[in-house]
Amino acid sequence: MNPSVLINDALDELMTRIRPALAMVSNGRHGSGAGVLAGAGLVLTNLHVVGRAHTLQVTLDDDTQYEAKLIASDPHVDLALLQIPANGHAPAIFSATPPRPGELVYAFGHPWGQRNVLTGGVLSALTIIRGREGDVPVLRADVQLAPGNSGGPLLNAAGEVIGLNAMIFGGDQSVAIPSSLIRSFLAEARKQAVPEGVL
Amino acid sequence: MSNILVELSNSMAAATEKAAASTVSVNARRRMPASGIVYAPDLVLTADHVIEHEDGITILLANGTEAAAKLAGRDPGSDLALLRLEKERTTPAEAAMQASIGQLVLALGRPSPEGIEASLGVVSAIGGPVRTPHGSLDKYIRTDATPYPGFSGGPLVDAEGKVVGVNTSGFGRGVTLTIPADYAWKVAEQLARSGSVKRGYLGVRSEAVELTEAVQKALNRAQASGLLLVSVERKSPAEAGKLIVGDILVGINGQPVPDHDALFAHLTGEAVGKSIPMQILRGGELQTFPVEIGARP
Repeated sequence: MNPSVLINDALDELMTRIRPALAMVSNGRHGSGAGVLAGAGLVLTNLHVVGRAHTLQVTLDDDTQYEAKLIASDPHVDLALLQIPANGHAPAIFSATPPRPGELVYAFGHPWGQRNVLTGGVLSALTIIRGREGDVPVLRADVQLAPGNSGGPLLNAAGEVIGLNAMIFGGDQSVAIPSSLIRSFLAEARKQAVPEGVL
Repeated sequence: MSNILVELSNSMAAATEKAAASTVSVNARRRMPASGIVYAPDLVLTADHVIEHEDGITILLANGTEAAAKLAGRDPGSDLALLRLEKERTTPAEAAMQASIGQLVLALGRPSPEGIEASLGVVSAIGGPVRTPHGSLDKYIRTDATPYPGFSGGPLVDAEGKVVGVNTSGFGRGVTLTIPADYAWKVAEQLARSGSVKRGYLGVRSEAVELTEAVQKALNRAQASGLLLVSVERKSPAEAGKLIVGDILVGINGQPVPDHDALFAHLTGEAVGKSIPMQILRGGELQTFPVEIGARP
């Protein structure tokens, strides 16, 4: 079979698999961003998507809407973990393999509010952003991002999350927080989650 | 999970890794470094416009070694320059001598010590010849891969990591072009040998004129036009070859010369010093004059 047909099929499959784990996060004031399910009732997003909002709305792919509560955040790496009273949605898989420049990557999110948009490219560079509280390793990709992609996953060809898109971070460059940082953030943040059913 | 997408992804990453071993950082300007391609173990090919100072050039090799280099030659016409490593030796890149429109390519660069950088695209167009600010380029490639800052002098590579061409933003107007590898490698070869690129020189001004049917019959080929010589420079190869104003140049080496581009295509560096038969129409008669092509000053 023609390899480009097989590649299209593989892309369809990737999108079908990741869609249930993609959330839309709205802070009720300006626009909305994306988020990704990181466990039962846990939505990972960028802290700048949450802003200073007290009420947060999370919409899942099946159009169910939930009030979300901010349970942990780290401004240094622009990450936030939200909790919603929802179970039974498959979370995304966070990659444990080191990313390689030149590998295919896909950004999934809601650019300009349009739902579930996939943009492709390659991983351009493993670089560093010098922040006020120290250096932050980031991924740079040549995928097209727009407002609404923030907090959405950057996926590898296997559909695993290798980073969280955070385009605001570092000005005009499309950068993503690598999954290595996400993993250590989640390890701490999960401890703040309210046991199921209590929320 | 393994599927064709993962395979493709792995091969693009492998192509990047392979080509990255021969992609270096070139420090020869005040701003951020540019990129370069290892042409031979001691030679690095880069864009001419990124060489702003010839003294104290350093090259950051793929293995992290900072190496001193000297200018081996430059050709502003094609915006290529060749640098010679003083001590270190490294892995040369492999060139792909053909590119086709639509093929997958990666633009690579090493503008910082943080590592290789890549962007994905396809070959969008192949064109040429084109006039450049300091000369001309026979052939160029255009791609839609993002040219990040510092990518000038770096390679455009195919899916196997072979160099398809040299990326440069040096031709101005905000356009990034790729100098095809076959052309760039030829220029590099000449720069390595003599430090500059020779180009052929005839020493005439001409304009295209129509050829009558009778002339075409005498030529034994359909050729709508030839080049009327409107001036012949003094002490030029054309004068030495006895060409005069009013001659109509219709062929070189048995091939038709209907316009300037055709004449230009014969005045290559390889033609310099060679005696080449010029087919001339003089007073209604076809004659052949051997002319020794000179080197353009």
